[in-house]
Amino acid sequence: MEWFNALLADNRIFTPDTLGYYWEGLVTTTQLVFLSLLVGLVLAVPLSILRGSKHKWIKLPIYTYTYVFRGTPLLIQLYIIYYGVVFFDGIQETFLWPMLREAFYPALIAFTLNTAAYTTEIFHGAIKSTARGEIEAARAYGMSPGLTMRRIILPSAFRRALPAYGNEVIFMLHASAIASVVTLMDITGAARFVYARYYAPFEAFLFAAAIYLCLTFAILFFFRHLEKRLLAHLRPQSG
Amino acid sequence: MLDLHGYGPRLLEGAGVTIQLAVLSLILAIVLGLLTASAKMSRSWLLHKVATLYTTVIRGVPDLVLMMLLFFGGQMALNVLTDIIYDRYGVDWYVNLNAFAAGVLTIGFIFGAYMGETFRGAFMAVDHGQIEAGKAYGMTPWLVFRRIRFPLMMRHALPGLSNNWMVLLKTTALVSVIGLTDMVRVAAEASRATHEPFTFLLPVAAIYLLIASISEWLFAYLQKRYNVGFGEH
Amino acid sequence: MADTPIPLEVRNIKKRFGDTEVLKGLSLQARKGDVITLIGASGSGKSTFLRCMNLLEQPDDGDLIVHGEAVQFKQTRHGREPADWKQVVRMRAKLSMVFQSFNLWAHMTLLENVIEAPIHVLGKPKKEAIEQGRALLERVGLTARADAYPAQMSGGQQQRGAIARALAMDPEVMLFDEPTSALDPELVGDVLKVMHGLADEGRTMVVVTHEMGFARDVSSQVIYLHQGVVEEAGPPQDVLVNPTSPRLQQFLAPKY
Repeated sequence: MEWFNALLADNRIFTPDTLGYYWEGLVTTTQLVFLSLLVGLVLAVPLSILRGSKHKWIKLPIYTYTYVFRGTPLLIQLYIIYYGVVFFDGIQETFLWPMLREAFYPALIAFTLNTAAYTTEIFHGAIKSTARGEIEAARAYGMSPGLTMRRIILPSAFRRALPAYGNEVIFMLHASAIASVVTLMDITGAARFVYARYYAPFEAFLFAAAIYLCLTFAILFFFRHLEKRLLAHLRPQSG
Repeated sequence: MLDLHGYGPRLLEGAGVTIQLAVLSLILAIVLGLLTASAKMSRSWLLHKVATLYTTVIRGVPDLVLMMLLFFGGQMALNVLTDIIYDRYGVDWYVNLNAFAAGVLTIGFIFGAYMGETFRGAFMAVDHGQIEAGKAYGMTPWLVFRRIRFPLMMRHALPGLSNNWMVLLKTTALVSVIGLTDMVRVAAEASRATHEPFTFLLPVAAIYLLIASISEWLFAYLQKRYNVGFGEH
Repeated sequence: MADTPIPLEVRNIKKRFGDTEVLKGLSLQARKGDVITLIGASGSGKSTFLRCMNLLEQPDDGDLIVHGEAVQFKQTRHGREPADWKQVVRMRAKLSMVFQSFNLWAHMTLLENVIEAPIHVLGKPKKEAIEQGRALLERVGLTARADAYPAQMSGGQQQRGAIARALAMDPEVMLFDEPTSALDPELVGDVLKVMHGLADEGRTMVVVTHEMGFARDVSSQVIYLHQGVVEEAGPPQDVLVNPTSPRLQQFLAPKY
């Protein structure tokens, strides 16, 4: 604890100024992760259903998309979008350009496409593992395929996918650290800035690590709670 | 034909760095993972706590942050150490933390935590009766581990191991950020210099996919080998 | 005869799990050629007693003497433990156990199962071990299944294979832990036949079993356990035919 006291006594690093950077970083990270997860989720639901289609021309492109995005590093995807966005003809003249010029939106696009790919596969796996008997029962009661999907398959599949999706959320939070590579001031970006300014690697990165750790625990706690509520029917009843 | 503006050889070299980095990190991660799993299953309270702290913290913090902490922090710690050596013994000895070694150590250290969880689950899935049979026939603990526990465990561990390897492979891309010249760094440099990002980044992405596909095939083969004697009737 | 050491002797074995004392001071002496059967209701401690004999369970008290060599114990934080695990390893190689659930190693073929311990524990040359292994498999009627994996064999075949594995150690004493309890009724006969043959050729055996017919026909001594104590013991014609204890009489009474 000696070093900790020394740290507090001779605190030239954690000034209101640097804490402000970390706070801004926290806001940026949260925005990036939350928005990409939200849009990714919205994309993944229809994609995961279509991924299980019988038609080759529907399922194959989706499979290719998930295979490529899950098989290559997110950093490469980010670079391709960040450096490549300039090359779309005429994009500089559109209203989108001011947004895309900044690093935030390319990062958001890369993260969204990435998490959508993982989430599609998670949901697809959950849909595929729905008990055949439950589907047959729905058919036997005269439900149409669409109704069966909506009322029977999806509700149970999403619940079963919850633990895996919780991991994906944590994975996305951690993956978002590479936003700092394209000059974004997220939590890691703030840490790199503080490190460069004070040449204090331990303080700068340990503080960032602590923030991420807290966020991870918060997400874990949230999903535990959600699982407890939504997956109660899968637990054996005691007594 | 693809015009790589003379970056071809460097890109190839970078690919070599990526593969070496990934394989060496994997080996370190497996060793650390086995140690962690053993510590978690040991009767020692302290070992158990240390292993739990390790796996929890590592899995709660982004790879990139850990990498920077260990790389930049490690360099500083080394500097302090060499300063002390100079002050005390007058030996002028300066070590520059090698980016490759730092990469292997960090990635191995990070994935050791994930491997630890994989191995622990796999060890616990092994039928205890078969371990007892080994003991009952006078096998030493090491012999039981080598001939029975380990091969039986591997069958359960392979899917997780394969998954960890795929994630590890992609994580190697991050070392380009701390200054190691792997294929991602070469491609990023070339993209900036030539303003042709797709020319360099897409082939690199393709190489990752290729390695992933080969690994998938390799793991399927291994799974078949370790599955010998299971599920056939 | 008097000069050769007794293969297995246990004295005053005590064992507790938590608050329940499951073995309250049990003793047994297996001389060369003895077939001792342990009978009793489930929970009587007979399997635990057997597992104490090769230290798969650590007895809290009592002595264990294998082939004249007493196992040394010491007191640790986790309770009483053998002082020298090398000695335990050495002693276990002289006793070989046949388990209720066979416990054949799933990743090895039957022949590999049989030759594993002779090669790696006894240090037998591989060629010799294979020859002996094949002979033993022939003896238990499994020549054709030498290259099969345990999962491909029936329970009865697995158990006969496990007996061949135990024989390959050329043990001083064979310990059987309810060897037929996990088998379908129609497969029990083959396993019992093999065990019968072993008894006839003078093997020293300690058998935990529910097969009263087997106990009556081959045992030199029957021990009836009840709640961790010996309720009655002696030659089968006394214990099984003319039991004195009311509890044993009830235990032996036909259930239907």
